[in-house]
Amino acid sequence: MLSRSMDAAASTPKQGMIRVRGLTRRFGSVTALSPIEFDVGPGGVTALLGPNGSGKSTLLRCMVGLVRPDSGSASIDGVALSGDGTAVRKRCCFAPGEISLYKEMRGREHLEWLLRGRERESRARAVQLADAMGLPLSARVRAYSHGMKRQLLFAAVMAPRVAVRILDEPSEGLDPSKRGAILDIVESDARSGTTILLSSHHLGEVDRVSSRMLFLHQGRLVRSEDSAGVRAQAARTLRLDFGSQLELPANASRVCSTLLRLGAKSALTRGQRAIVQLEQADPRPFLGALAAEASLPAPQGIEYGQLSLSELYHDVYGVEAV
Amino acid sequence: MGGGTRSLLLRALAFTLVLELLLVPAVLFWPNFRDNLDALRGLMPFQAAREMLEQFGSAGAAGYICGQQFFKACNTLGIAAAVLFAAGAVAGEAHRGTLEIWLARPLTRRRLLLERWLSGALAVALPVFLSSATIPWLAGFVEERVALEAMLLCAAHESTLLLAFYSATFFFSTLGSNPLGIGFAMLLFSIFQFAIYLIEKATHYSLFRLADIPTFIEICDSRSLDVSIVLPLLGASAVFVVASVLAFERRVP
Repeated sequence: MLSRSMDAAASTPKQGMIRVRGLTRRFGSVTALSPIEFDVGPGGVTALLGPNGSGKSTLLRCMVGLVRPDSGSASIDGVALSGDGTAVRKRCCFAPGEISLYKEMRGREHLEWLLRGRERESRARAVQLADAMGLPLSARVRAYSHGMKRQLLFAAVMAPRVAVRILDEPSEGLDPSKRGAILDIVESDARSGTTILLSSHHLGEVDRVSSRMLFLHQGRLVRSEDSAGVRAQAARTLRLDFGSQLELPANASRVCSTLLRLGAKSALTRGQRAIVQLEQADPRPFLGALAAEASLPAPQGIEYGQLSLSELYHDVYGVEAV
Repeated sequence: MGGGTRSLLLRALAFTLVLELLLVPAVLFWPNFRDNLDALRGLMPFQAAREMLEQFGSAGAAGYICGQQFFKACNTLGIAAAVLFAAGAVAGEAHRGTLEIWLARPLTRRRLLLERWLSGALAVALPVFLSSATIPWLAGFVEERVALEAMLLCAAHESTLLLAFYSATFFFSTLGSNPLGIGFAMLLFSIFQFAIYLIEKATHYSLFRLADIPTFIEICDSRSLDVSIVLPLLGASAVFVVASVLAFERRVP
């Protein structure tokens, strides 16, 4: 996947594309971003995933010019990041993750304030969107809950006609129904051709809307997966439930080495299950060899062709996802 | 009306009202002051205050009113207002957590900063001009004549000092995230400057020498600004504004 991105470097960025090349940023002695490279779009929803402190927000802020990168380049919708990033911000909408609004303003007034510098028609669209989400626009923002503030910001970010939207945790703090409504709008916007890059901790929502996932860890892009890649990986993933016998470390180690001997590309144990990656999508030869192997206990259950995002997350980061 | 414009108008209005509320009784008190100058002189506890009274008496109503309006009210409350308006300009946004959404819009940082500087500068300077413009009318109530031109020149001179304090505070605001700390530090600095003004041996080191009673009496007499004071003050403001823009360009939200 990363090599594919490198190949794309030779081409000129298209309309609606996000291109990042060698972006780095340090804060004192802390490296927030090591050289990062990727292309996103045109169109579709791409999710930026990673644990807290992995550099997601810094990356997004660098891309829109809120934080100056130490080196590297970025372009959005064909416009290169330069200076304070105003040219790039004109081509995209950015919703910050940390949300603090002006409490003394009324909702409608705040929407207009947020949309300063955008086309005039975007204000009417934002009001329409906010109304649809049930926000009391005549009330002062100090009366808004956290979720309502998030929705107000979301309405302002989704209203302008731009080719790219960058959303940092757009549904953080929302209840499931509100989160669902926001994801519907994101999906619909992406269907109309907008490129959306969103960061999120909610794997459920990423699973639902995104066609591609970028995994960040300690300021590095450690993996990039599209939905086809996840499907292909799922087709080579086999889970074998060996019950309580796997809970002893010695047994787990013995089972793994046997599975590798039987032709698995990789094998690891998690709880009572062994997770096996096969060389090819067809599991029958491996299952045949497994059935003939007398040294292993008989599996109590076999799952094939399933790979959840949380497992992918676990695979990348080695920790359980939220 | 945008939030920024409304905030500017409210601040300017409040500052104008405060200055006017101090000015009206001060002007109306002039006849009593004039008639009891000798007795007041005897009550003054230290030399600097006695000299100030001498200056009031020798320059007549105009000198007294300049002392009240510019040296007393504007140099104290004006600087407090300038510091108050500037301390929160950027540091206040960082403190409230609104800096990121302020910067996330497709507007250049330079524009955002200069708009903010200008709105605060107007809120500091306009009230000085507005309240000073009412002095000739108020002086009529105590049967004195004070020239509008002289008062506006004094207001212009005073505004340059206030803008220098305002711009310096504004610069520190672009660097920091604690508006209260910045405000307190600048207020302490101005109190220190005022204190050394009253000390005979240190008075020449005080910034308030640039806008004291003899300076305003000279402006009234010559009907012209003292460019040897005004230009350096405007230059200092310009330096602080340029430094603010440069610092703000690289500020991390």
